[in-house]
Amino acid sequence: MKFVPKEADGAVNISKTHPLAEMAWLGGGLFLLAALVYLGLTLLTGWIVHHLPVDAEVWIGKEILQQEPGIPSPPLKKRLDALVECLPQGSPLKRYDFSVRLIESDTVNAVALPGGTIVVFSGLLKEVASENELSMILAHELGHFAHRDHLKRLGKGIILGAASWLLFKNSSQPFLFTFVSGLDARYSQSQEEDADMWGLHLLYRRYGHVGGSVDFFARLLKKKRQGRLAYLFASHPHPQKRIERLVAAAREQKYPVKAVEPLGSDIQNLLEDLNRE
Amino acid sequence: MGEFILQNLNLVLPLFLLALGYVAGSIAERRHYRSIEMREQELVSLPAVTLKEIQEDDAVTGRLVVGSVVVSIDYFKRALAILRNIFGGRVASYESLVDRARREAILRMKEEAASLGAYIVVNMRIEMSAIGQSANRKKQVGSVEAIAYGTALIKQA
Repeated sequence: MKFVPKEADGAVNISKTHPLAEMAWLGGGLFLLAALVYLGLTLLTGWIVHHLPVDAEVWIGKEILQQEPGIPSPPLKKRLDALVECLPQGSPLKRYDFSVRLIESDTVNAVALPGGTIVVFSGLLKEVASENELSMILAHELGHFAHRDHLKRLGKGIILGAASWLLFKNSSQPFLFTFVSGLDARYSQSQEEDADMWGLHLLYRRYGHVGGSVDFFARLLKKKRQGRLAYLFASHPHPQKRIERLVAAAREQKYPVKAVEPLGSDIQNLLEDLNRE
Repeated sequence: MGEFILQNLNLVLPLFLLALGYVAGSIAERRHYRSIEMREQELVSLPAVTLKEIQEDDAVTGRLVVGSVVVSIDYFKRALAILRNIFGGRVASYESLVDRARREAILRMKEEAASLGAYIVVNMRIEMSAIGQSANRKKQVGSVEAIAYGTALIKQA
């Protein structure tokens, strides 16, 4: 046997696939899988949210309140009770035992917590100028309960927390939260608008007119001259947009607009206490 | 910008390592292959065969020749292999690595044989082993070692 020197062809042992192409396929597949899981979990929470008994909600609400309890506020509770009185017979909200808690914070916001607790931040209360405005804000939060938004958001938070924990072993991964809450912004804004509409109808049932329904947003608009772009990824829609939608809805329903009632003495006392501190 | 990077370090860092691994890994691989092909061409007249014995009329001496090399994977290849572990299939990113290690080991063995004045290497064997067994587990980057050895036959003067 004669040996003939020949150059070896090493190429048979190497795949021809470009590594970047392979990365795109595998990474894309994994991303798709994660997206499907996320979608599935979202649908699952949607289902859970509609079937969760009030008892379970109350328990979850207590767990959340332990972190930032605030103080129960009888004057605000009185306004909320008056609104709840105006709910139609057989409203699912009648199952709740509502309470209002006040937390001292500059945040101009109110939050609907599971179990029927509405948390009002003192920053918001300081901006309120009439009984009707206050009722509108409380009615808006009741709207979140009616649409079960308070639970929907909680469900999303749990999914995000679990995903972030799995991916980064870190329960508060800011990047992921900003990213997904940015995606969710549109959804959240539509939730807010729906709650506005729901609140408007309740305000009409309470007072027989919708005076003061947009005053709060108008003041917010004057105070913060932010462009619409800043609201693209915000959880709440632009105040101007909210005013337009509320005014249009009131006109469509032929709701009259009458003079507003000034704030009651108990609320004014509360505000004085807050300002003193 | 700097603040953003610091806040999301555990996301930015892997991405940076991935890009670095791809760029540096590709350059190193291309250069290595160029060198391998050139040296293979030079040593093509010195055969290395797996036959245990060959018929020989002249008097020869046999000498053990060994060539070994350790090649490291890069971050990109590792990420690709981890993804591959999820879905299954050929781990293409490691194929070139193993191929390079094997050919380089043979080349080093042949270079030793050539320096001894051998005209053939018989009974050549190749062994491979992983260095850093936990390569895919403990955020470590592993390496592969290839060792080629055989008997160099040198004609006696």
